[in-house]
Amino acid sequence: MAANNFRHALFCAFITLIISYPIIGFNLEAQGINVTLTGADASTIVMVLLAALIVFLFQMFREQIMGGLKSIPHPLPQSNKEPMAENRRAKIESWVLTGIVIFALFWPFLVSRGSVDLATLVLIYIMLALGLNVVVGLAGLLDLGYVAFYAVGAYTFALLSQYTGISFWLALPIGALLAALFGLVLGFPVLRLRGDYLAIVTLGFGEIIRILLNNWTTLTGGPNGIGGIPDPTLFGMEFGRRVKEEGNTSFHETFGIAYSGEHKVIFLYLIALVLAVFTALVIRRFMRMPVGRAWEALREDEIAARSLGLSRTAVKLSAFTIGAFFAGFAGTVFASKQGFISPESFVFLESAIILAIVVLGGMGSQIGVVLAAIAVTILPELAREFSEYRMLIFGAAMVLMMVWRPQGLMPMRRIHIELKRQE
Amino acid sequence: MQDLLYFSQQLINGLTIGSTYALIAIGYTMVYGIIGMINFAHGEIYMIGAYTALIAITGLASLGIAWLPLILIVALLCAMLVSSSMGWAVERVAYRPVRGRHRLIPLISAIGMSIFLQNYVHLAQGSRNIGFPALIDGGFNFGSGDGFQMSLSYMQITIFITTLICMTALSLFISRSRTGRACRAVSQDLGMASLLGIDTNRIISATFVIGAALAAVAGLLLGMYYGSVDPLFGFIAGLKAFTAAVLGGIGSIPGAMLGGLILGVAESMTSGYLSGEYKDVISFSLLILILLFKPTGLLGKPEVEKI
Amino acid sequence: MRTSVKKLVTAVSTSVALMGAGHAAAEIQIGIAGPMTGPVAQYGDMQFSGARMAIEQINANGGVMGEELVAVEYDDVCDPKQAVTVANSLVNDGVRFVIGHLCSSSTQPASDIYEDEGILMVTPASTSPEITERGYELVFRTIGLDSMQGPVAANYIAAQNPERVAIVHDKQQYGEGIATAVRDTLKDAGVEIAMFEGITAGDKDFSSLVTKLKQADVDYVYYGGYHPELGLILRQADSAGLDARFMGPEGVGNKDINTIAGEAAEGLLVTLPPAFDQKAENQALVKAFEDKGEDPSGPFVLTSYTAVQLVAEGIEAADSTDPFDVAAALREGTFQTPIGTVEYDKAGDMKSFEFVVYEWHSDGSKTPVN
Repeated sequence: MAANNFRHALFCAFITLIISYPIIGFNLEAQGINVTLTGADASTIVMVLLAALIVFLFQMFREQIMGGLKSIPHPLPQSNKEPMAENRRAKIESWVLTGIVIFALFWPFLVSRGSVDLATLVLIYIMLALGLNVVVGLAGLLDLGYVAFYAVGAYTFALLSQYTGISFWLALPIGALLAALFGLVLGFPVLRLRGDYLAIVTLGFGEIIRILLNNWTTLTGGPNGIGGIPDPTLFGMEFGRRVKEEGNTSFHETFGIAYSGEHKVIFLYLIALVLAVFTALVIRRFMRMPVGRAWEALREDEIAARSLGLSRTAVKLSAFTIGAFFAGFAGTVFASKQGFISPESFVFLESAIILAIVVLGGMGSQIGVVLAAIAVTILPELAREFSEYRMLIFGAAMVLMMVWRPQGLMPMRRIHIELKRQE
Repeated sequence: MQDLLYFSQQLINGLTIGSTYALIAIGYTMVYGIIGMINFAHGEIYMIGAYTALIAITGLASLGIAWLPLILIVALLCAMLVSSSMGWAVERVAYRPVRGRHRLIPLISAIGMSIFLQNYVHLAQGSRNIGFPALIDGGFNFGSGDGFQMSLSYMQITIFITTLICMTALSLFISRSRTGRACRAVSQDLGMASLLGIDTNRIISATFVIGAALAAVAGLLLGMYYGSVDPLFGFIAGLKAFTAAVLGGIGSIPGAMLGGLILGVAESMTSGYLSGEYKDVISFSLLILILLFKPTGLLGKPEVEKI
Repeated sequence: MRTSVKKLVTAVSTSVALMGAGHAAAEIQIGIAGPMTGPVAQYGDMQFSGARMAIEQINANGGVMGEELVAVEYDDVCDPKQAVTVANSLVNDGVRFVIGHLCSSSTQPASDIYEDEGILMVTPASTSPEITERGYELVFRTIGLDSMQGPVAANYIAAQNPERVAIVHDKQQYGEGIATAVRDTLKDAGVEIAMFEGITAGDKDFSSLVTKLKQADVDYVYYGGYHPELGLILRQADSAGLDARFMGPEGVGNKDINTIAGEAAEGLLVTLPPAFDQKAENQALVKAFEDKGEDPSGPFVLTSYTAVQLVAEGIEAADSTDPFDVAAALREGTFQTPIGTVEYDKAGDMKSFEFVVYEWHSDGSKTPVN
């Protein structure tokens, strides 16, 4: 047994060397007009050897290490505790949530403009992730082209404002509904496909949308994108230094206060906050409704759900359409925040980031998704040098989460209702 | 005559790229046939194969070795060794622990692995495009001197022949050898096969290793044919190869070959007669259409839902 | 839980703001915004090294109006989304002069914010005509436009009396912009354009395109885009026996194209800004870069240097650090800079910016052809 173990550990260490040494230990460099090969410096090679050694030791003493890990008490002991009475818990939770939202409403007046702007971006990601959560987390449909619906929302607003001068408030529902329509039209044929085929088809669809946006230069400006997208107005008041549109007044003149660019940033933040809260509440509502139960039922066991009379297509389609709807929402806000959009904002990587947020947060869990969106957006801002490694860490984290905690950091808690005991 | 030559040239272009799609598609189709998951990271393994081959070629050149067959063989062996080790390790780290869970879980794990490997090479080798030396030059020309000349390069011929050899060897291996028989058994019923004394873990590992080795062959060939490598090119090629595998009927090896060729020709005809901008739109639309009307692909077996 | 995360955000952002605000009052902050990381970081390096050198040298000569210039650097990764975040933090930090951004798609959304907030921006690298088309008061550049470079190439091609010309581009803002300018000028000159087609950036297989070019029997191929794709096209065209002369904009004039195309790069025509580092009057500056171990030959090094110099001279000329006054002074004055004499028109573009046609060689060197 020990000899066998040793052989296996040696083999694993050897494989580690093979897969890391050639790629890390040699650098291909363009020197003038020739490609040359240079060896990496000694410290890198030591790192590679160290990695092999760690793999060797881990494989050698695998059982002891795994045994040791198991004996550590569970990090979340309260999960074993008797759950609080449902209605009491719900009451506390709703108080806490209301408190947080009120805090978030006043927070931007206390901090700097840069952090408010970043927070707006976080809120857009929260909306996207909550929407994708319906599709992936609740209904169990892997959508790798989610960014397409985001693009539909953003481009709807940009195009409508360019050609018809429509305002943000009118574009918001139109963009979301159009995205939902796209979801419906795409979903109808493809939802018959099995899970993994669906993933690849949605990925292809996302790429098709992006390529079309890029190629249809006469309508979308192609790679030049669309600029000059107006900011949201407050009852016809604009937030810019000068009024851009006829008939509007400017916010600072109406109230007789000095112009400050912060007003606009804070206003956008508040809109994003309201919309994100709206998204969360609507989806929460859906989760308690029969259709929400049906999503989960279909995810857990398709055959059983169908034999209970659920229409597979209708249920999946509803999840797909609702997810797309909120992506369109987020897209409109994004277009308004940026003032300029181009197809390069809607690449596959964006879909992957949103998916990573959903996966890290725990598929199905709203609080978890919100926390993951905050972490994923803010961490790279905190440490710029870290941003090079961001995607590497995302990838590794996605694998690790699937292996160790597929339910996510904050797993979803089933909403359940207890019947009052009859005395 | 001119038009015919032009058509044949586009056909040759399409078949060349299609046969390399087929080589990569084998990896997808075999893994899917056996454990029913999409190995999303397979495109990255192909990319790593291309990088390793380039590292080996550059290394040999700096040692002053110029004998072509030796360079090719060493590069091929290095690429195959590193890629298949990578395939083995990826399966051990990311797929084996999640095998048998809900379908989405291995798929997300695979996407994570793909992102990880892309950035691993990106960080180690930089994001620049690096030139790949053209080791096999020259070719045949057809057609009159003043009009359109059709050309068939030695590199294209090499690609056809290598693909053909690999496919034949693989088919023989699957149908004749002991391991191949075990592979077929595992793909039919994993539980039953293990009851009959087949070491299923070993067979699954073998599948990954074989797929990765073929991807490495494709990496070397395509690197020489196109002329440069960068960390992102595996993803796109992998996507195309996967499309090819689905097109031909995933799980079927002749299907992968057929799907690859159809996809390659479709792409080259699109850029030849329409516009290169819409090449990817055509290949993805083709995928969606095939899946809608023949969800199991051209040569795939219809799937029965077991209750 | 949520509260504490928000607190963390607040704390972090406040400290970031404090870091920016921590400088003493007798300083003028110059923001430098461009990609430090990401796929085009190698161009960002040029921008940063040029701007830093200018700030160092100006400070060594006593600063501006007796005050020292302080560089504040921001990384936008050439991503439009991050560029907006960067612009907002610049506003936050009280910076009033920005050298940047690099990519046109980042410059465009960021400049909306700068214009609104009264921040003067000089981009040393963004060539998209749209940036200065919007009637903004505070937007300037120290580089030519795509719409200036295209005609130079087109006029050169037209002067060679070609029978047919093909124009290919990479469907990106830069490449398609220049390709369109080339097409329009060639049409006016009465040259037959056999093909105007896009490819996918990042693609590797151009055999179908090359076959199409062969079939169209063109004498000249103009490619709008960057070197990785053109390198592959050159090489695949060479091995397929396509006999045509290729031409491209400054985005292909990079030695990396030789590592990809090899011998096939010989004879490629490239329009480039004149090599500022070869000018006799810039030799002292070139030496200063070389002493620091930096390469002054990149296309954006001296344009960034000039951008900082113009801001400094504009402040002196206006005798004010108010960006609107400085902008007015820049529009009125004439400035002697390493990239030549600079005069601005109303839009914020230089009245003249010269492009020169070079012939590229397979050893990575280049010679001017006209």
